[in-house]
Amino acid sequence: MNIQEYIASGILESYALGEVTEAERTSVERALIQYPEVREELRKVEETLERIAFESALAPAPHVKEKLMARISLAKPEAKIITLTSERPFWRYATAASIAIALFSSYLAFHYNQLWEADSMELAQIKAENQLMAEQYNIVNQKLDKIQGDLAVIENAAFTRVVMKGTPNDTNALASVYWNPATQEVYLSIQQLKEVSRENQFQLWAIVNGKPVDAGVFDLNFAGLLKMKNINGAAAFAVTIEPRGGKASPTLETMQVVGSVVTNPS
Amino acid sequence: MLKIIRRIASTKTIGEKELIEKLCNRDRSAFDYLYDHYSAALYSIVLRIVRNEDVAEEVLQDVFLKIWDRMAAYDSSKGRLFTWMLNIARNQAIDKTRSKEMSQGRKTDDIEHLVNRIDRQESVELQIEAIGLKEVLTKLPEEQRFVIDQLYLKGYTQSEVAEEFDIPLGTVKTRTRMALKELRSILNVT
Repeated sequence: MNIQEYIASGILESYALGEVTEAERTSVERALIQYPEVREELRKVEETLERIAFESALAPAPHVKEKLMARISLAKPEAKIITLTSERPFWRYATAASIAIALFSSYLAFHYNQLWEADSMELAQIKAENQLMAEQYNIVNQKLDKIQGDLAVIENAAFTRVVMKGTPNDTNALASVYWNPATQEVYLSIQQLKEVSRENQFQLWAIVNGKPVDAGVFDLNFAGLLKMKNINGAAAFAVTIEPRGGKASPTLETMQVVGSVVTNPS
Repeated sequence: MLKIIRRIASTKTIGEKELIEKLCNRDRSAFDYLYDHYSAALYSIVLRIVRNEDVAEEVLQDVFLKIWDRMAAYDSSKGRLFTWMLNIARNQAIDKTRSKEMSQGRKTDDIEHLVNRIDRQESVELQIEAIGLKEVLTKLPEEQRFVIDQLYLKGYTQSEVAEEFDIPLGTVKTRTRMALKELRSILNVT
């Protein structure tokens, strides 16, 4: 091994900075035993690092030492026998008492710190749970609002329910429209419709003066009632399958359900 | 024990060998001396890496607890005591910045906290700037100063510097060496 090249590679600096692989570490440790030049060079590198650290040193706050010493006392409560040279018993007791007080108060500090840490962790957990509950409550609340809104439409006598039954395309299909002839509002409710491919969409039509009028497109991804376009003077409603986005006029061959408006006997 | 305290108080430095021996015997007064002598050097290293005084204080305590617990594992044939402690401090601080605790804290910080932190960081940086080392570093060639700046003042590892600034790791290592060699003569290490 060429010692000078080895040193020049900077491996000793990396070693001192703790940034070597296991293999490199082994090689340096072997070189340290074997070559006095390597030992001497590492010493200089280390001394330089130490000098830099001391040149840029910054004293920590005094309480850091106090806390540290308290932690050490608790980590290893070693019972060291303290022999006092003083003959006066007062000092002996005073020293013993002060040591006892110091130990006891550092124990208390540690104990309350532990309690405080446990409490703050618990608090964080409770906060997280609380947030989750609030989110769930909001979701439930929104659902309840929706159901109450739907119920108000269904129970409102001003709305006419138009039952749309399945056509030969799908005889099991069934859907309803809640239509308010006065306000022209239209709500759709699905009982049974077959899923369509992603390229297609359902389209609701109203028959007004014998002509189909677009009442909006929809997918099957809703629950309860779905608000559609306002319609005036409908005689019937029907649903067809159209390319996604809908069309201007219905493809009658794809009609799924249809139903005539039966005026309320009022 | 009182005798030892008195002797430490009267002599400014005690030999590294003697200190290590006492620490291995779990001599609290030797530990006291160790803290008084090295805490400032290690604290500034930790503070530069974690960039938050509260966290740095906590990490420093952990570092000294580790030193106290692992003293028996220290082998003087493999390096100086300070190098060993420096590595414990660097690793502990780097681990801390990568721990979940800090990254989570970063995520949940609101704007007010963020502003506070930036203020604090700036004050931490100012404190660091105020330290005389900067002056020494200005005597280094730009590329060497940069490496030492990243490694020592900003607390990056050599591989991080290589990756972050797209410099081959070997180049980072030789530049570290050149810089430390230069500093060696500036600081009169013989």
